Amino acid sequence: MASLKRGASDAIKYEESGLRKKALIDTISSQTGEKDVHFEGGNGSESEDTRATGSGKDEDDDEHDDDDSSAEGHEDGVPQARHAVKKIGAQDIQIARETAELFKSNIFKLQIDELLQQVKLKDSHILKVEKFMHKLYDMIQRIPEWGSHTISEVETYFKGKIVTVPFVEPRPTASTKYKFEYKTPDVSLIGSFALKAVVYQPEGSSVDILLTMPESLFEKKDFMNFKCIHKRSVYLAYFTHHLSLLLADEKLSDLFHLEYAYFNGDSLNPILNIKCKPDAASSDYNFYKTKFSINLMVGFPYGVFDAKKLRPNKNCIRIQDDKETRTPFYNFSVLSATTYDHYLKFLYKTKKQTEAFKDACMLGRLWIKQRGFTSDISYCGKLGGFGPFEFATLMSALLSGGGVNGNKILLHGFSSYQLFKGVIKYLATMDLCSEGHLQFYSEIDSSATVPTSRYIEEGFQTPTIFDKTTKVNILNKMSLSCYQTLKLYAQGTYRNLNDTLKDQFSNIFLTNLNKVSNLKYDICFDLLLPTDSVLQEQFGPVEKIRFINLENFVVNKISNVMKIALGERILSFEIELLNRHSSFPISRRKPSGGANISNIRIKILVNPTEHEKLLTRGPVNSDQNSPEVLSFKSFWGKKSSLRRFKDGTITHCCVWPTSASEPVIVQILSYVFKLHLAEDAIISGQTLKQFHELLPLPNLPASSSTSITNLGSYLTLKKSFEDFHKVIFGMQLPLTVKSLLPVGSAFRYTTLCQPVPFAFSSPDFFQDVILEFESTPKWPDEVSSLEKAKAAFLLKIKEQLDSGKYKSFFIRDESIPYNLEVLTLNVLTPDGFGFRIRVLTERDEVLYLRAISNARNELKPELERTFLKFTAKYLTSVRHTRTIENVSHGFPLYSPVVRLFKKWLDCHLLLGHLPEELVETLAMKPFVDASPYLPSASLENGFLKIIAFLSEWNWREDPLVLDLVRPSESEEHAVESSIDAKKFSESLTLSQYKTMESNFSTLRKNDPQGFHVQFFVGSRIDPSGILYSSSVPLPIATRLTALSKVAMTLIKNHGLNKQTIDLLFTPALKDYDFVVKLQSPVALKLSSGVLDSQGYKNLSEQPTGFPSDLSQLSEKMDPTLQLIKYLNLKYRNSIIFSSHQYMAVNGGFDGSRNVITGLIKPLFKTSQRFKVNIDANIEPVDDVQVQLNKEAIFHEIAAFGQDFVTAFEVN
Amino acid sequence: MSSDVKSMKNGFAVIRFRLPRCEKLEDNAEVFHFMFVKKHQSKNEQEQNCLFLINLPLLTGLETLKKSFSEICSQSGTVAHVSQLLHHDEFGINEIDLSSLTSDLMSTGDKEEKRFTPRNTALLQFMDSSSLENAWSAVCKYSRETQGAKVIDWTFQSPSMATFVNFYKPLDLEYLKEDIYTHMAIFEEREQRAQEEAQSSIVDEDGFTLVVGKNTKSLNSIRKKILNRNPLLKFEKRAKSTSMVDKKAKEDFYRFQIRERKKQEIGELLTKFKEDQLRIKEMKSKRKFNPYA
Repeated sequence: MASLKRGASDAIKYEESGLRKKALIDTISSQTGEKDVHFEGGNGSESEDTRATGSGKDEDDDEHDDDDSSAEGHEDGVPQARHAVKKIGAQDIQIARETAELFKSNIFKLQIDELLQQVKLKDSHILKVEKFMHKLYDMIQRIPEWGSHTISEVETYFKGKIVTVPFVEPRPTASTKYKFEYKTPDVSLIGSFALKAVVYQPEGSSVDILLTMPESLFEKKDFMNFKCIHKRSVYLAYFTHHLSLLLADEKLSDLFHLEYAYFNGDSLNPILNIKCKPDAASSDYNFYKTKFSINLMVGFPYGVFDAKKLRPNKNCIRIQDDKETRTPFYNFSVLSATTYDHYLKFLYKTKKQTEAFKDACMLGRLWIKQRGFTSDISYCGKLGGFGPFEFATLMSALLSGGGVNGNKILLHGFSSYQLFKGVIKYLATMDLCSEGHLQFYSEIDSSATVPTSRYIEEGFQTPTIFDKTTKVNILNKMSLSCYQTLKLYAQGTYRNLNDTLKDQFSNIFLTNLNKVSNLKYDICFDLLLPTDSVLQEQFGPVEKIRFINLENFVVNKISNVMKIALGERILSFEIELLNRHSSFPISRRKPSGGANISNIRIKILVNPTEHEKLLTRGPVNSDQNSPEVLSFKSFWGKKSSLRRFKDGTITHCCVWPTSASEPVIVQILSYVFKLHLAEDAIISGQTLKQFHELLPLPNLPASSSTSITNLGSYLTLKKSFEDFHKVIFGMQLPLTVKSLLPVGSAFRYTTLCQPVPFAFSSPDFFQDVILEFESTPKWPDEVSSLEKAKAAFLLKIKEQLDSGKYKSFFIRDESIPYNLEVLTLNVLTPDGFGFRIRVLTERDEVLYLRAISNARNELKPELERTFLKFTAKYLTSVRHTRTIENVSHGFPLYSPVVRLFKKWLDCHLLLGHLPEELVETLAMKPFVDASPYLPSASLENGFLKIIAFLSEWNWREDPLVLDLVRPSESEEHAVESSIDAKKFSESLTLSQYKTMESNFSTLRKNDPQGFHVQFFVGSRIDPSGILYSSSVPLPIATRLTALSKVAMTLIKNHGLNKQTIDLLFTPALKDYDFVVKLQSPVALKLSSGVLDSQGYKNLSEQPTGFPSDLSQLSEKMDPTLQLIKYLNLKYRNSIIFSSHQYMAVNGGFDGSRNVITGLIKPLFKTSQRFKVNIDANIEPVDDVQVQLNKEAIFHEIAAFGQDFVTAFEVN
Repeated sequence: MSSDVKSMKNGFAVIRFRLPRCEKLEDNAEVFHFMFVKKHQSKNEQEQNCLFLINLPLLTGLETLKKSFSEICSQSGTVAHVSQLLHHDEFGINEIDLSSLTSDLMSTGDKEEKRFTPRNTALLQFMDSSSLENAWSAVCKYSRETQGAKVIDWTFQSPSMATFVNFYKPLDLEYLKEDIYTHMAIFEEREQRAQEEAQSSIVDEDGFTLVVGKNTKSLNSIRKKILNRNPLLKFEKRAKSTSMVDKKAKEDFYRFQIRERKKQEIGELLTKFKEDQLRIKEMKSKRKFNPYA
């Protein structure tokens, strides 16, 4: 048995086995026709064991074994595989098994293989750039050495030359004593290119070449006071000068473009960047097409300085006698410049030991890139400090320990997936900042015994992965907020990796989150600092040595202010300095324009549960002013006040007013920025406010100062329902009431207009309620009699209601097609709300189903539609309301987002065609299934995510399955995944999910193009996935997708601003075949409870009661709704009519206007054969063909809506 | 183009009506509505002496048709007496009679009830065959008239604002009570009768009376059959329920069982793997692996 024979890894055998295996796989893949099956030696050998052991008893420990297998395992496999076809099946099983065990699932492994194939660099490109690199190497060797020179000699040398010395601030004075010189450097290739872990990037990749300055150029103390840095600048300038001369000699200077750049945005570390000019002549050395660029960086020799003295807490720049001020940026810059080569060796060693290391690095690189992280210093804006290098180093560290007891987090035999997941898990679950840090040894000698890496439970309040060997903190470049963001994404990805239901591959690796920052962040705005003099003043000598440059200082300052001011209200944030240059011509000393801090973009990830809190609580008041109290007071200034709380404590705090148009966070920030940054600091470009203002304000007292997350108006309605509920249960009726369940959309907080008492014109005024009596077999077994019987019971209820404070009346309900006998009892409560009671019996469903089975075949689809309508209205509505209500409690932003989405749909005349339930479920997507983003925590973000989702989703190929659970449940489920949590959670189970998927595939088998049902939206409310969407006509479904595509293109191309937002909410009437403008004689805005744009003036006009004659109610109802309904009925075969459902919101300034748009169905766009059942208003073309008689239809419409039609537009 | 079509190939006469001018439509050309007419042939006694009409204008009622047909007739100097308009269901509301599909109790036993014509068509019935003949010949003649003055003007029946608003008006309570009362009375009586008939009248070949219990229509017996009709479950695969024997049988008693199961497992694994490979291929062809898309 192979497993028994496993010995220590033997390099030769190992090589052999690798080769053999390749041959073996080649045979397999040629047999299966699959050429791209990747086979990593390490994984392969393990699986070989598994196969050989047969019963698979030790599969589990195999997985964790990091030694290589013996060659025997293959010996019997290879020849057999070559000859017998049957045995190849066994090999296939082998791969199948292996992937299932080592990877998340088969499909995941195959996807990873495929992805890595896709992002592989072209060999020809590599050869091309390597050719130039050889040339470059030769040239570097030819640069003459340059003896030691004083600063003035250096200055004279460069006078009149193109190249300028990129001295860093402060430049050396004339009195500088030390000498500058150039000696041939040690040239080496470093970075991912050297590790062969580069991935293809459309914008091109860079190759890092390290020039290590010879040790003889330095003295021991050169790390102090910029000495080595200045020496390097001169070294680089001299090098650049001679390189350009040599290039000219070789007649290559037209080919290449040389410029300085700051390495990783570090202004202490200028490097030389070589690119090919786009219009350069063709040459052997022209690598323009490969899109590569070459970074020549100058490093210090490893160990030339005493690393201990360059620790983050030391001072290495002396101003006067100050030896205390820490200079972490400077120290890191100097120290890390000595270690480039060292880390390459370290990573290379790990790569040699770990088969899948390279692939995992590539995966990590992609993951990082898609989330916008780079290796750049994060203090100068953007997400930085965690790039591919840091990922690879962390992975290496975890391969030699990393646990609390130094236990190994990763093993060398892991697959690329396992390595990647391990790193993500570590990032997601271990705190490397406030609670602890990771310590490791970057030993490059593979024979030495390396102490294990260890997680130390001691946090430095800054992200730390400390290398004991080099004394470098790998995460030094990373700011706290960046680390928090990274952790959030890692947590999200870790959840995705643990997701057993859905294929999360594309969410993890393929989606680029950086395309639209308004999707990535909840709040984005510009911070303008017109006068930065205050900040300039604060940037004194001490700050200069601490932060090196003004940008770092300002970003740090803003971060600190934001962190203190917002605390728990936010999850994380990013500060981006606009107009920042990191490269500059070789003729200049530094980027032009100097420090630009007047234009800053701030992007915030909001904590949805905390952000609208009114109170910022400070320390408890005490007699002596404790330092906390003092700092609280000085930070908040006038806003700080004392408050006594219910529990008797007196605390310092700040109180913030809420507003319907501006989130509390923005108010706080505009206050503290003015206080701490500049008096004229302006928050601009804030699109969130405009989105807030798009939500219709209810005509209620103080509505403009009510937060959008406040559900008060809905709760009043619910209270009213509770009272009504009691009244109904107190009644004496022939049958006892079993239940009275609320199903209206206001009960789940999703009505477009908030409930306002007595606002009976609103289409949502009467909220549906389902009444069920105790079960009895006596209900009539015929549909119309059943409805009559129900009505008889309702009559009894009405009698008893009318004797109390309630008013009620009967209305014929047309929501169930063909059932003309449905009556509802509409109840008006004394506090001004309306409920519409429908009666549900256990007989209903059976009757509708019986109708289907009794009907002629051609009627069946219609009857099925009727049944679906009934199910939606009576049966699932209860579940829907309960679920949405419950889940939305976990997402405070859900209600405003769904309301804005409804407004958008209605604005574009689509809402009338989409069942409310469908709209509400779709709007859940950015909350319950946000990945790879975080769940939405602002109105803008939620809305845009829905639009983005709709614009990208391919309904024909993919079912949308949403797991409607509250966030806390899903969190536990994913991270802990304990059995108990699973048992009690309402999350979808695998079998439920699979059922939905198979439902979808059968559906699409019959209708691959989705002509009948375009949308498939499955959830635990509706496992069939088609209940709500089957009635959506195809043109409407495609229009929804098309509109969102247009919206997203608009946002991508023009960004979000006043104009684009207005445009988003402007209906494109030109797209329709014709448009009819309507004017209703009554304005509906006020009577629908929507506040006029003028605001409070009309508060007095708010209705305070119902008319005594209930038939007067109808005078203030929307007549156009009925018009459109009958038009759609009459022309349903040929034209689709749409209109605004909410005249109060989209019907002009007083809510009296509406439009009807007509979309002629494609079939009727051309002439067709005359048939008796053609069902359209037609005119003859000849004696066989007929066509749609549009003119006559327009006349009919004009005659039909005689009293409203004001204009006709035919497009 | 259409002005000279007088009849369709399949025998329908094309008659036109000039539509009233509408100022909101800024179009000054004359607009016509076209109706297609044919003599209706049916064995159904109820449907004798009928013209089959296709494409009736908006809100056409018996009166408007009477008026326009008498004008057509008067042009050829004849008279035809219209009696009624059958099967006209402009908005398709009565297309499906749920009541008769759920139970035959409320049906009038009339064949008429189940008759229907396609949407946007109707039967115009005349008093007698001579009226029909007169009308038909007049229609044929009229269809040949395509020139100006002789084309009859059509007047639409426009609903007023109140018509639309009335949908929101409370139903009259007294009427409602009366309606419910009478309906329920009829229903109960018929149900009673039907039950009695069911219990008494079924006499089999041997002369025995079949006894049917009161609760024959118990929900469960019907339900099982009917529930299969649920359109929501149409796409769902139904799992076979295991019988008691299957449940009791031991599955790992014989060696061959274990062997078989293993074989099966491996087979499944393999097919799944193959499927996955295919899926990847398909995804690849759709360029689903581009991280920079």
